[in-house]
Amino acid sequence: MSHTLHRRGNEENLKEDIIVFAMSAKGINDKNSKDKLQHFLRIMHRHHPVNMGDMKTGNLFSAGAENIIANVQDTSIVHAVFTSKEEVAKVIKEVKEADLGISVIVSGIMTDVHQICGQVGIKPHTVEHSLGIMGKLSRLPEDELLQITTMCGHGMVSSRLARKMLLEVKRGRLQVEEAAQKLAYPCVCGVFNPARAAKILSQLVDLWCLDEF
Amino acid sequence: MKIDSQKCVGCGRCQHYCTMGAIYFRQTMGKVHAAVNEEECVDCGVCERAKVCPVDALYQPIHDWPRSIRGTFSNPLAEHKETKVPGRGTEEMKTNDVTGRYRPGFVGLAVEMGRPGTGAKMPEIEKVVMALAALGVEFETKNPLTSLIVDRKTGKMHPEAMNEKVLSAIIEMLIPLDQVPRVLQAVKKVAAEINTVFSVDLTSRADENGLSPGALLAAEHGYKISINGKTNLGLGRPLAREV
Ligand code: SF4
Ligand code: SF4
Repeated sequence: MSHTLHRRGNEENLKEDIIVFAMSAKGINDKNSKDKLQHFLRIMHRHHPVNMGDMKTGNLFSAGAENIIANVQDTSIVHAVFTSKEEVAKVIKEVKEADLGISVIVSGIMTDVHQICGQVGIKPHTVEHSLGIMGKLSRLPEDELLQITTMCGHGMVSSRLARKMLLEVKRGRLQVEEAAQKLAYPCVCGVFNPARAAKILSQLVDLWCLDEF
Repeated sequence: MKIDSQKCVGCGRCQHYCTMGAIYFRQTMGKVHAAVNEEECVDCGVCERAKVCPVDALYQPIHDWPRSIRGTFSNPLAEHKETKVPGRGTEEMKTNDVTGRYRPGFVGLAVEMGRPGTGAKMPEIEKVVMALAALGVEFETKNPLTSLIVDRKTGKMHPEAMNEKVLSAIIEMLIPLDQVPRVLQAVKKVAAEINTVFSVDLTSRADENGLSPGALLAAEHGYKISINGKTNLGLGRPLAREV
């Protein structure tokens, strides 16, 4: 379930897209891990993530931070999204000091994550890399839309919705931030980055000509 | 997913949310309403959860096997009976600091069928599973897709599942490091034979420098490794013992 791995993009926009998340291992350290996961989320929340969530409850926009934290269970996977590596370095430092004993994973540009690890004194344990997409590539939408939709690795954000939101912004019916929040809504884990989506949309608004589809 | 044609007022708000483009419009006794192409729908639940329908016309019937496969693989809120993990895969590298599933010298390889956003029909998934089974790879037993493989030697999948389609399904394997080029070559070959897409990834226990031996080897063989990825920080306790 590599739901934060295959985010498409370029160095410029991926550097503002870092996800920090935590979970316990079933049958090993999951019993009573709820308090630790809540502690983890409170640390995240203090650092003002652009999104956060727990699949079982929802994301910042569908459920709200307090609700997400209150409903954490031992089996939850809890996430927060940040836009700067400096902030993530502070977050990870605090998480390390809290010594919660649950697994913590960071998704982002590898060299940035390694730099953060070095600053905080952490040795990466296990790493996962994407080798990209293979197969019938003609079935994919434009890569610019994929940069938006792949921010929900479970595929909950449809490329049709991304196209529709772009059209609504072009028509002046929605602000980019509103459109980005609507795109973030279906991603139940809260790993979709609305700040990055808003930036991508505002670049496309000037470049793309769209009609109804 | 189904739409109650009596209730539907044909506003179209749900249509763009559909991950599979399966919502269309038709006319019944002079009334225009939305309907779901059940063949293409993967029961992901996105349209209903979007809460955009002004008249609550969308509803998810409870399906029996084998149609039930669609929802369990496509709706992340559905928990797999086999793994108790919501979603489509396992804990994979996320808890590797505690489980020790990926040991030095081995690589986790995943082929995520239908990602991003195209969905995958079972016969397409079976083609890839069979190509990998022919190499003698070890499929991850805790992965829900593995439970649909009836013959792990040939990769033959459950015949009753063949009419089903899912938003995505992850073929998860553990292979010795030196097998990475051989397995990736087979993956690349079968990619040309399918009518959908998949995303590929490699997981390794980090080396002394925090790097992935699996990804380094793949890069040596000409595969492009993305600049972004996932890092398990090793903060879980008890730490897995490695032999
Ligand atoms: S359940 Fe998913 S695939 Fe089916 S109509 Fe709704 S959004 Fe489309
Ligand atoms: S949102 Fe509801 S009323 Fe509107 S088209 Fe869809 S099902 Fe029909």
